[in-house]
Amino acid sequence: MGYVAVTAGEELVERAEQLFESQRVGDTEDVSVDQIDEQLSRLTARAMGEGGLYAPRLAALAVKQAQGDTVEAAFLLRAYRSTLERFDESVTVDPSAMIASRRVSPAFKDVPGGQILGATRDYTQRLLDFDLVGGSPEDPTAEWDLTDEGDPDRLTNVTELLREEGLLHDPDEPDVDDPADTTRESVTHPAERDEVLQELARGETGAVTALGYSTLRGYGRVHPTLAEVRVGELPVRVEHPYTGDDVTVTHTNVTESEAVVPVYEKRDDPQFAFGYGLTFGRNERKAIGMTVLDASIQLESEEAPAENAEFVLDTIDGMDSFGFIEHLKLPHYVTFQSILDRIRAIRERRGLSEDRRVGPDDQSAETPVSGTSDDD
Amino acid sequence: MTDHATPPDGETPDDEPPDGGAPVPTDSVDAALASLDSDGVAGYNYAYLDEHTKRELRRSMLKAVAIPGHQVPYASRPMPLARGWGTGGIQASLSILGPDDIFKVIDQGADESVNAANIRRLAENTADVSTTTDTTEADLIQSRHRIPEEVLTDEQRLVLQVPITDALRMVDSSDAANRRRHAHKNYGKMWVHLYENVVEYGEIQIASRYPTMVADRYLMDPSPIPRWDVPKLDDADHLTVLAAGREARIYAVPPHTEVEPLAFEDRSFTVERFPGRACHACESTDTYLVEVSEGATESETDTFETRYTCNDSSFCEKRRTNPGIPKDHHLDREGVDWGPELSDVATDDAENATERGGNDE
Amino acid sequence: MTLLEAENLQTVYGPGCSRCIESTGDRAGTNQCSHCGSVVACAEADLGVEAAEVLGIVGESGSGKSSLAELLALERDDDATTAGDIRYDGHDGNLLEVDYETRHDLRTREIALVHQHIRDGLNVAFTGGGNVAEKLLSAGHRSYEEVRERVRELFEETEVPVARIDDLTHTYSGGMQRRVQIARALATDPNLIVLDEPTTGLDVSVQARVLDTFRRVQREEGVAAIVVSHDLSVVRLLADRTLVMRHGRIVESGLTDRIMEDPHHEYTQTLINSVI
Repeated sequence: MGYVAVTAGEELVERAEQLFESQRVGDTEDVSVDQIDEQLSRLTARAMGEGGLYAPRLAALAVKQAQGDTVEAAFLLRAYRSTLERFDESVTVDPSAMIASRRVSPAFKDVPGGQILGATRDYTQRLLDFDLVGGSPEDPTAEWDLTDEGDPDRLTNVTELLREEGLLHDPDEPDVDDPADTTRESVTHPAERDEVLQELARGETGAVTALGYSTLRGYGRVHPTLAEVRVGELPVRVEHPYTGDDVTVTHTNVTESEAVVPVYEKRDDPQFAFGYGLTFGRNERKAIGMTVLDASIQLESEEAPAENAEFVLDTIDGMDSFGFIEHLKLPHYVTFQSILDRIRAIRERRGLSEDRRVGPDDQSAETPVSGTSDDD
Repeated sequence: MTDHATPPDGETPDDEPPDGGAPVPTDSVDAALASLDSDGVAGYNYAYLDEHTKRELRRSMLKAVAIPGHQVPYASRPMPLARGWGTGGIQASLSILGPDDIFKVIDQGADESVNAANIRRLAENTADVSTTTDTTEADLIQSRHRIPEEVLTDEQRLVLQVPITDALRMVDSSDAANRRRHAHKNYGKMWVHLYENVVEYGEIQIASRYPTMVADRYLMDPSPIPRWDVPKLDDADHLTVLAAGREARIYAVPPHTEVEPLAFEDRSFTVERFPGRACHACESTDTYLVEVSEGATESETDTFETRYTCNDSSFCEKRRTNPGIPKDHHLDREGVDWGPELSDVATDDAENATERGGNDE
Repeated sequence: MTLLEAENLQTVYGPGCSRCIESTGDRAGTNQCSHCGSVVACAEADLGVEAAEVLGIVGESGSGKSSLAELLALERDDDATTAGDIRYDGHDGNLLEVDYETRHDLRTREIALVHQHIRDGLNVAFTGGGNVAEKLLSAGHRSYEEVRERVRELFEETEVPVARIDDLTHTYSGGMQRRVQIARALATDPNLIVLDEPTTGLDVSVQARVLDTFRRVQREEGVAAIVVSHDLSVVRLLADRTLVMRHGRIVESGLTDRIMEDPHHEYTQTLINSVI
């Protein structure tokens, strides 16, 4: 029987890897890392966000190696990052320093700085464009008549307006001087908000979206109004080793989202609760999902999955869930033998025992055996 | 973060960078990419993990040894293996392996399993260790869900891979609540689970991951080893380290620690039974067996034949060439207490009737 | 023989200040300190319970009787600041200052609390029998048959149908759940049971039957009890002696019969008149 026989060890592992690699190579022209970086930036954005490492070209390489599987690519990035030396920590940057290329505020019609639609397909029809089959090298914006208007203005965050008016209940502030680093210290429940935000920011896009959606779908109380969603460049600043001044060394492309939630913390002083989302690269759905979850977790309830920090943090990480889901493919014959022993013993005790094998056609096994779902 | 990697001239780097770390070129992304074109592990630190991480793991292990059965958090690093595939075990192994060590890896009893092979390969490539399939030769054994059949000695260390760290997860999914229970040694809820098990099924129906008290203080999840292997942890000569990568916890059973599976006086702990069965290859009746289904004939796939075979493939191999050697054949003493009592299990206990209880060493 | 003796028990919610005590209580007519806003749930409370005696604590909601009961049952409320001294027969030192282990042990074997709200006292996802068994298992009983037998005995004693022993607790009626709580409290033969509002959420007819059961069992077992209720008739039925509380203070105490027939304090008089 195939499965048990697949135990030939090292050589087999190598052969399997070679077969997998041959699927990537195929018969067509090789996709370059540059092409992935440039043309499939949504994939690299996901890999960087979930990998917790901003490195577009490495992410492109990871996506290429993973044959487009973004969770696998994020995994490659994380495993690589964990071997790198840490030289320094960057200076905390205020998100309002962002140079936004897109910014929409659903809360107000007019906001300081205005609505910036930017690059989006949100309002176009989702029709397959068959022209792309033959390739479409033309840039439709090539003919645009553009004038240089200098550096863009800083945009005031919309929540800042509400905060000034005292309408916003600030969540418990993490200690900004020394936030925890959950890649270096494991999370212990109950988790602090800085830990929650980090874990959400690295959460798997699909999981963040699904759990965020769950609360809108009725499994929870949070139905936020987005103050704004923006995409843009955030400076990375470090302290100069000689002068001690903060200097900008590079920029990261990020998506940020903020929301207000009409949950009144104090009866005598009604205020909006607040949710925050930020992720590397262009990934609006994840940033918004994170915002919903951040607001939801602050309710500290166990009534809805998305309001329970333990539940959300335990299930949101793509690397954890991917690994554990897929580990079910590993052999389980020791544990399964143990389960068989229990179920047969109990059937015997109930006089149900017949000396026949428990096969796929045997639906009468009514006694659940614990340890089946959560044995490794 | 890629442009300021080189330390300023005239300054020697500190004895130890803030976070340890391996010397990977980071002058530019392209250089980093170029270095990755090599065969994979050349640029990495000895035993893959950086020294800081290994020290942290060793400290966590020491703490775990000092508080037997208590789960010690550590910063589990992303490894080049998927989580749930032995990342905790390999981190623990790599942080205590040295170049003179002989390393054995088994997955569900088998050295030849592809995942065991993969883990072994990582240790070979990065830690320069030699490997073996022979339990008695190994200094360090990393195992998924089995304790070998051959008796482990006080010179050996066993690292068990752990998927789920807390025995109480069975009765409550909240870690915050369970941590409180451990702090207070409050295991009432687990006991009620066992009581209701007996009410419903007439006996305790927990198969593997059997809840076990360590040193009469902490309730421990012994990892999904079969119940068969749980008694081997009690008063053992060897150190057992249990490591979980995904859940980032390490715990330990030091040598000669009391380990007792939870059970009632009158509904006692039982191990898996193999009544009347023997390994079809080596004829053992005192080892953990697993069922193998094989097509009875080549042409017909819908008829099966069930055969039993030793799960510990390396010991089975030995017994095939050397029938009936005892599990303590490599020791200079005999009748070593190892594994379950076999009185009502083995069909003929002419040889190898290991007795429990009279532990008079 | 005095089983339990308490002095100067005090529970304060809020920051507390040096003038909290003088500015609250019966004379001040409030339990909220006018200086710092703290709520003095109870203060200056002295009391004693004799072996096998039933002490009643009566008062309206907010009078501090539940806070007092929680202190005596060694419940901890992290939001409150507590003080005082509780001596218990056979135990050295102040029960309010013991470590967790000792407190857990005392609560398992010596002083049992029957919570006002079922869900605080029972795990409704367990079977009824499991809830009672938990107490025995926590106290170290390791024989399944003995535990089982004792649970059956307690079901009979508290008049819960033994046939329902293995049904999940949430399928029980309110009266049965209260009886299971009492069975659970009795399981390890404690010397003192604290009953907090034993009639909450029960129909009047069910109330009477539960109280009858408790009175019978209490006498048979010779266990002392502290019964807290806003309902004078509960205290009248069960208690040998009674304390009357108002604004966080004990305003009157004495034999239950005396208090019912000859109430000294004006508040007690109103309380009794409003019932009759």
